[in-house]
Amino acid sequence: MSLRHCKDYRCFVIQWQINSSRGLGIIFKIIKSTIKLIPLARRGFLLTNPMTQDKRFYLTKEGLEKIKREYEELRKLKFSKTKGEVPKILHSEDLNPEYLSFQEELSFLGSRIAELEYIIKNAKLISFPPRGKQKIINLGAEILVEVDGQSDEFKIVGTLEANPAVGKISNESPVGQALLGHKVGDEVIVSSPIKTIYKIKKVRYLS
Amino acid sequence: MKNILEFLIKIGELKGKERRGWVIHQIKNSESTAEHIFHLAFLVLVLGRKKRLNLERAIKMALIHDLCEVYAPDLTPYDPLLPKNKKEIMETLKHWPKFTPALKKEKERKKLEVESKSLYVLISKLPKDLKTEIKNLWLDFSSGLTKEGRFVKQADKIINFLQGMEYWKKYGKIQHHLWVRWIKEITDDRSLLEFIKEVEKKFYSKTWKN
Repeated sequence: MSLRHCKDYRCFVIQWQINSSRGLGIIFKIIKSTIKLIPLARRGFLLTNPMTQDKRFYLTKEGLEKIKREYEELRKLKFSKTKGEVPKILHSEDLNPEYLSFQEELSFLGSRIAELEYIIKNAKLISFPPRGKQKIINLGAEILVEVDGQSDEFKIVGTLEANPAVGKISNESPVGQALLGHKVGDEVIVSSPIKTIYKIKKVRYLS
Repeated sequence: MKNILEFLIKIGELKGKERRGWVIHQIKNSESTAEHIFHLAFLVLVLGRKKRLNLERAIKMALIHDLCEVYAPDLTPYDPLLPKNKKEIMETLKHWPKFTPALKKEKERKKLEVESKSLYVLISKLPKDLKTEIKNLWLDFSSGLTKEGRFVKQADKIINFLQGMEYWKKYGKIQHHLWVRWIKEITDDRSLLEFIKEVEKKFYSKTWKN
C-alpha cells in the first residue's frame, strides 16, 4: 500500500493495493495521514513530487518573465557561438586558452539553458489569495513582524526570487516555512536551541 | 605574465586583511578575508558533493567571491549605523540592524556597485578569457543566478555563522541568538540547513568542547 500526493495539494492521490486480509482499518489510516498532510501542503512544506523528484518553483509574474527572457537570450547566444568560427585547439604546442575558454562557455551555456528549461517546466505563478483570506500569510505576502523587541518587514517569495539582503525571504527557509499559514495576531515560534518568537503585526498583498 | 604576477601580489594582501565584522566585535587576531575564502571553499567542496552541482564552478566562485575586498570596503550588516566610539559600537551590536525595505534595497545596490567597480579594477589587466570568467562568476555569486551561485551565496553566510559561533564560545562577544535568528531567515538549501542543525547541536550542547 502506498500513499502519494501529486504536485498540487488540492489533488492528493491515494493509491493502495489492499490484500483481502486487510480491512477498513488500513483505509482509515490512509485517510488520517492524508488529513495530517493537508495543512503542511498548504503551508508550502511539500514542494516536491516524490514520484518524479521534480521541484516546484514558485515565481511572481515578473520573475517568470525574467527567466523566460534569459532562456531565449541564452539560446540565441549559444546558436550564434556554434555558428561562428571556432578557435583552434592548439596554439603553437600548448592548448589554446581561447579554445578552452570557448568550450567552457559552451558547456556552461548548455547547462544553464537546461536549468532554465527545468525551471520553466516546473514553474508555478504566485497568485494572491481572495480578499477574505488576505490576513493569512501565503506566498507573495508582505509582512510586518515584531521579533526580539524590534519590528521588521519581509516579503515571502519562492527560492529563486529570495534575496534576504533586500527583505525577500524564501518560503523554504525555516522562518518562511514557519510563518506560512499564520495570520495577523499570531505568535510564531521558530524552534531551535534558541527560541525566536515572531509576532505578526500586518499582512498585505501588493502587486 | 607580468600582469598575472601583479594580480597575485595584489590578492595576497587579503591574507593579512582582518574581516571588519570581527574587528568591530573587538575579536583579537581575527580571521582574515583569505582565511574566510579558504574555509568557504572547503564548505562548498564537502557539502556541494551531495548535490547535483557543477562543483568546479562552485569552488571557483568561492575562491573569487571576496576578491573585490582588495579595494572595496568590507561592509557589515550594521553599516552605516556604526558609531565611532567602541562602547557605543558594542551597544549597537546588541540588536540586529533595522532598515526599511527601501533602505535595504538601496544599501544592497550601492554595495554591489562599489564591489563590482573594485573587482573590475583588480582584474582589468588579466587576459581576456580569465577576466571574463572571474567577472561572470562574481555576477553569478552576487545575484544568485544559477544553482551554484545560490548555493555558494548561502554557504558564504553559513561559514561566517560557524566562525561567529566559534568566537562566541571563545570570547563571548557575539550576540549568538541574533545570529541563529538571522541564519534561519536567509537559508533555504536543505543540505546547508542540515549543517546548521549540526552547528547548533555542537555549540549549544551542555558538554561543549573547543
